[in-house]
Amino acid sequence: MIARSLKWTRHNLFGKPFDVLLSLTVIPGVLWMVYQAVSWALTAARWDIIPQSLRVLMIGVFPADQAWRAWIAIVIIAILLGAALGCVFAFKGRHAGALVPVWAGCAALAGIENVTNVLLIAVTIAAFAGGWAVASRFPPVRKALVPASFIGLIAIFAVMAPPGAGLWGGLLLSILLTLVTAVLSLPIGILLAFGRRSRFSGLRWICTGYIEVMRSVPLIMVVYWIWILIPVLTPQFNLADVVRGMIGFTLFYSAYVAEYVRSGLQAVPRGQTEAARSLGMSEFDINRSIVLPQAIRVVVPPLVGNVLDIFNMAPLVFIIGLTDFLRAGQMILANPQFGDRTYEVYSFLFLTYFLVGSLITFVARKLEAHLARGSR
Amino acid sequence: MNAIVEMKNLNKFYGSHHVLKNIDLSVERGEVVVVLGASGSGKSTLIRCVNGLEMYQNGSLLVDGYPMPVEEDRRLGGESELAAIRKGVGMVFQQFNLFPHKTVVENITIAPMRVRKKTRAEAEATALKLLDRVGLTEHAHKYPGQLSGGQQQRVAIARSLAMEPHLMLFDEPTSALDPEMIGEVLDVMRELARDGMTMMIVTHEMNFAREVADRIIYIDQGSILEVGKPDAFFDNPQNERARSFLARVLKH
Repeated sequence: MIARSLKWTRHNLFGKPFDVLLSLTVIPGVLWMVYQAVSWALTAARWDIIPQSLRVLMIGVFPADQAWRAWIAIVIIAILLGAALGCVFAFKGRHAGALVPVWAGCAALAGIENVTNVLLIAVTIAAFAGGWAVASRFPPVRKALVPASFIGLIAIFAVMAPPGAGLWGGLLLSILLTLVTAVLSLPIGILLAFGRRSRFSGLRWICTGYIEVMRSVPLIMVVYWIWILIPVLTPQFNLADVVRGMIGFTLFYSAYVAEYVRSGLQAVPRGQTEAARSLGMSEFDINRSIVLPQAIRVVVPPLVGNVLDIFNMAPLVFIIGLTDFLRAGQMILANPQFGDRTYEVYSFLFLTYFLVGSLITFVARKLEAHLARGSR
Repeated sequence: MNAIVEMKNLNKFYGSHHVLKNIDLSVERGEVVVVLGASGSGKSTLIRCVNGLEMYQNGSLLVDGYPMPVEEDRRLGGESELAAIRKGVGMVFQQFNLFPHKTVVENITIAPMRVRKKTRAEAEATALKLLDRVGLTEHAHKYPGQLSGGQQQRVAIARSLAMEPHLMLFDEPTSALDPEMIGEVLDVMRELARDGMTMMIVTHEMNFAREVADRIIYIDQGSILEVGKPDAFFDNPQNERARSFLARVLKH
């Protein structure tokens, strides 16, 4: 064993003179940084700020006595995400086992003295596992996923709206913004992609123009424009900032989805359309049943990457005065008594973003493998 | 009038390139017509005009009693005849063009269900009967990617037959196949011909052409140069270019 690792070390780390130089500088440097970080995290850092301000980080300034509404939203999201995972990644007994430490970790973070929260976290994780197991064991359920996510999002809006949509915030807002944008931009993007290929030149120009304009300007500007335009265009409705932000994100990302879908449509061989035409199928049926499924299959990996992009861009909603996850962290630090906890809070933000992002990347990789198996 | 396809003075251009020149051709019901010619001669384009996959610019084309609109009319949206024609005309492609995301049975049932509004049960019963006819019953629930080229092409034939066509078009159905699989596809086509199906076939299989054809059409540079019975055409071609074409393809 030791002989083997020595051999491995000599071969991989000290094989050539340049490798020796690289190893001698990089390895001690990395070790020193890890040592510094760990010793700070274990000795100097005062982590009590995280459990104390967890509610603000998770749901922003949403009133504490209305937190049950947020919990319902979180459980619905957990079911939907679990079901989405179950479509591509089979649920097994050992996964259920792996979720127990996840629950323990979340509970420790939230403070185990708060029994209600510990139970609610358990419910959330059980909902996630339930959605995952059902979608992976019963394939027919998967067909209902898209309508189910629409209904789920509407339910979340309905349950979260009464205290005032202006109060939404924290990680929940980031996730909701990502979900709404991802779910709504897909159908809009698909329609735009088909519109760009339409044989009616008017429609083609409108769609092309829309896509190109959106792709040529920054997201933050689109969001701001929509925010200031909507009150002018629809003065009678008085839409909340959150909704305006979601509309801005959706309009912007639809253009990107359209371009991904268009590249997928181009990848479908001409022969597929010709064969379907020769069978007498209508253009609508051909596009819906023959071309689109094959196109989507090709572009699922970039579309999932797009979801990650949306999530990582969500902090930009601070421009219209919303308190997303990152902003919530800054809000806590603005509190004079916590002014010296910058590194603790930002470490937590970093780790959480990293975990969510990795999860999305992981799902994307599973999805890719799943699709590769299906197409053969 | 018993002709199922009637072309009169049909012309087709790709830009300034004149692909089909003054084509006059009629195909009787129950007739098997084989179109021969060198590659690039326009033979595929000719049969692709019959179900409207290619547009023609002038002349006239009647298919199964319906007038096929010329390009200008189709661009203006006059496509109602097109759907009616395509329902009755099946086509088999060189590259099979099966739908890779659907199983064999789904490939065969989708058009009858969507176009002819059959129920799933009806369509599946027909599909299984057709699969039996092409000898692929045990592959009914596989995906096209799991089948060999010859099997895929037989599924493609079954898929066309499911629409109960009056006319079948074959566009080089064996050209993409490994040699050992050509026979199984030709057998299915032979049987179709025996059952009285009207067929227009573009192929490079000369022995097969001679065996099944009622009539051979020889086409070169977009013009029909010779029309004749198979024996007459193969043994004693009248046209100079047909003679040299046959000398080239029959050498091996």
